[in-house]
Amino acid sequence: MSEPQLPGSRAHWASDAPIISVRDLVVRYGDKTVIDGVNLDIFSGETMVIMGGSGSGKSTLLRRIMGIDKPTSGHVFIKNVDIACASEEEVNDIRRIMGISFQSAALFNSMTLADNVALPLREHTNLAESTIRLMTRMKLSQVGLGDAENLYPAQLSGGMRKRASVARAIAMDPEILLFDEPSAGLDPIIAAEIDSLILKLKSAFKMTIVVVTHELASAFLIADRMCMLRHGKILASGTTEEIRQSTHPRIRQFLDRVPDQGAGGQDDYLQTLTKI
Amino acid sequence: MSLFASVGRGTIQRAEYIGGLTIQFYRGVAAAWRANPFTGSRLRWASTIQHMAVVGVNALPVVCLIAACTGLIMALQGGAELRQLGAIQLVINLVAVSMTRELGPLITAIVVVGRSGSAFSAEIGTMVVTEEVDALRSMALDPIEFLLVPKYIAMLLMLPCLTIAANTAGILAGGIYIYFTLDMGFALYIRAMLEALLLRDIVSGLIKSIAFGTIIVHVGCYEGFHVTGGPVGVGRSTTAAVVKSIFLIILADLLFTAFFYFFWQ
Repeated sequence: MSEPQLPGSRAHWASDAPIISVRDLVVRYGDKTVIDGVNLDIFSGETMVIMGGSGSGKSTLLRRIMGIDKPTSGHVFIKNVDIACASEEEVNDIRRIMGISFQSAALFNSMTLADNVALPLREHTNLAESTIRLMTRMKLSQVGLGDAENLYPAQLSGGMRKRASVARAIAMDPEILLFDEPSAGLDPIIAAEIDSLILKLKSAFKMTIVVVTHELASAFLIADRMCMLRHGKILASGTTEEIRQSTHPRIRQFLDRVPDQGAGGQDDYLQTLTKI
Repeated sequence: MSLFASVGRGTIQRAEYIGGLTIQFYRGVAAAWRANPFTGSRLRWASTIQHMAVVGVNALPVVCLIAACTGLIMALQGGAELRQLGAIQLVINLVAVSMTRELGPLITAIVVVGRSGSAFSAEIGTMVVTEEVDALRSMALDPIEFLLVPKYIAMLLMLPCLTIAANTAGILAGGIYIYFTLDMGFALYIRAMLEALLLRDIVSGLIKSIAFGTIIVHVGCYEGFHVTGGPVGVGRSTTAAVVKSIFLIILADLLFTAFFYFFWQ
């Protein structure tokens, strides 16, 4: 079976060598293949959106790009360092140029917002405490949380927590910013706020941004290029326009929100339950 | 075949557990050395002192109370038997030696497992579930150094202190029994107790308590770091941390006691 690949034209300002390059990535849990030979190039300064349904392997792919888990086989090059087989020290060097906003925000519940944002600065730089406090306040006001620095994560709403996690991700002025489901579980207004925050970061800092999402509207709004993942394989990648006009049946199904055949009928459902 | 399979799988799982624990222990000791008082960063020491208060100071009343009860129980049980032999004054030796060598460290460790070992596992397990541990790693911070080391250093400093407090409480409680049955003054009791005790008894107890502290922290944190399956997994790992810690503590106690019996008499 051949993989239909759309021509991967790039955003005009992107530089030539890819900053993130995924090669033949395979991830298996036991017998289950979650990522099945993924190749992906992400160029400096562009926003890449990885789309796909639940269980398509998009979060698994992102975790490999973050270098949190090792793949079964294949390579993930970030700035020409293969983090799939690099030592922990080398991966840590790469992590300092990456900022990550997790799906569950993953703020440290025992610390105030200011301490959360200040943590990477305190650990990795020799800046004076007053400078760190100033930078923390700056990052928090960039995400619109300037007046919440002394609150604990438990005192915040879901949207505020998400924005705070973005503030922590940009604390070290990273070159690469990764988002895992930035608008999952948020109401449309707050999801739109997060989208505009991503767009703001993109225009202000020219960061390379990788977003994993299944929200179509936000994907088409923020992406320069996108790729569609299904069953651990990339169905297509290209600019937003190319994806929008794709004729691939699966992509059309995803974009037009059509349910799978057989999943709709109640009789079929009963039949699957009674089948031995 | 299924018998072989289940025995084999069980063996591999145990071996894997012990291997994982050993690797974590090695990394924990290496990281603890890096964060030592002379080169360690300010943040970790704040966290260590906070843990020292929680693990040590806050546990003091309950440890002392339980140790005192144990001391009194020992005196009553021993007194009932020794009275028949007309050697009731030996109750002093019995309480002093068994508290310092054995019961002081053991009871302190079991109380601390219940208070802190379970808390370590729940705390780290929750952080795993909410991706906080991943967040630490994504910021190029070592979770072992950041989460385990402050607990380990706090435990190594506080568990021997708690053990000494437990020894004292148990021995003093034994004195109450002696005071009422033998009509022996307290000063005399203390003198008889000091004659019965050797420095070796106390030191061997403290060596045990350091080993127990190591087990409590490493098993608690290991269970926490290996939580799978969300909030239910946190509950499961907390239970496992307590059960496995107590088992390993008793096992270590046996090994140390045998070692001291054969090599340090």
